[in-house]
Amino acid sequence: MTSRRWVTVAILMIVVVPALAGTMKEARADVTADCEFLEISAKAGGKPAIDAELSPVEKKLKKPPFSTWNQFKLLSRSQKSLVKKKAEPVSLKIGAATATLVEIVDKSKVRLTVTMDDEKGKQVANNTTTVEAGDYMIYVHPLANNDGHLLSLTCK
Amino acid sequence: MSEPADARSDLALMEYADGETGGQPGGQPDGQINEATAAAVVAARLARDPDARVKVAAIKQVGELVRGHLELSADAVHDAKFAAMWRRIDDQLEQPATGLWARVSRWFDRYRGHVITGAVSAGAVAALALILRPSTPDPGIPGRNAAAIDVRPVALRATPEIDSLDTPGGSSTVINLDDEDGHTTVIWLTPADTVEGI
Repeated sequence: MTSRRWVTVAILMIVVVPALAGTMKEARADVTADCEFLEISAKAGGKPAIDAELSPVEKKLKKPPFSTWNQFKLLSRSQKSLVKKKAEPVSLKIGAATATLVEIVDKSKVRLTVTMDDEKGKQVANNTTTVEAGDYMIYVHPLANNDGHLLSLTCK
Repeated sequence: MSEPADARSDLALMEYADGETGGQPGGQPDGQINEATAAAVVAARLARDPDARVKVAAIKQVGELVRGHLELSADAVHDAKFAAMWRRIDDQLEQPATGLWARVSRWFDRYRGHVITGAVSAGAVAALALILRPSTPDPGIPGRNAAAIDVRPVALRATPEIDSLDTPGGSSTVINLDDEDGHTTVIWLTPADTVEGI
């Protein structure tokens, strides 16, 4: 191939590749879900106490099966914009977690895959659930001292 | 010998010494005498006139001095000066454009056909890419710029569906809670080494 043909090819690449990349990026960016994660420490103590930041789930925490404990403390809170089929790490104070948006179903439901590891790095849960936007999922992992480690999530 | 005659005679000798008269110190015009005759005349005069011999020798000496001085002066000029001089001459003969814009213009002038071909092809491909891309990524999957996922009223929400649940090294219990805020799915994980469950 002569150098002049390379010039033509180079011009094609310069113009076309960004255009295609932009199109693909836009297509990828379309499928997302915004999710909120609350990491909660649960204990049984003398005086009931629930952190003010836990108000979205406060009513739920006062009912069984969470009534095993009466003190709930927010350990961490994170907002994640989940991209379809991309595992997003969720920062936790105890252990680790990931969340993956599998797909959006019927415009109002999200199919999520959530994994949880304990503080030793051992996976304790790998779950895929289809849940309505606005509803909650709460993972409960009892600890050795009868305390609880909770991970709450909701998407919309 | 009168003064004008002496001056004319000296001038003839100088011309002879410089070779300008073709070896005719006698001042004979138009080559009326040939070289052999002129040489004979000069030889005869030089033989009989010591002053003439001294003058010819002096003129030759002065000529050598001047020639040597000029040659030394020419040698003293550095070659780089000559090179620079030639460059200036070349620049004045042909003024090439040296700026960035001029170079770019020259490049486009040189490859004008290819640039136009490439641009038209690229535009066509980009247009095809824009036309053929899906207008909606997936049926039922709203875009980020469109409305977010629909949050339906609680009464219309479906019960959560567990598609898969693995609890390596333990067990799990799924509890569905319903209240005025919607559904809550509780997944209670029970490690295998836990003595007491829920």
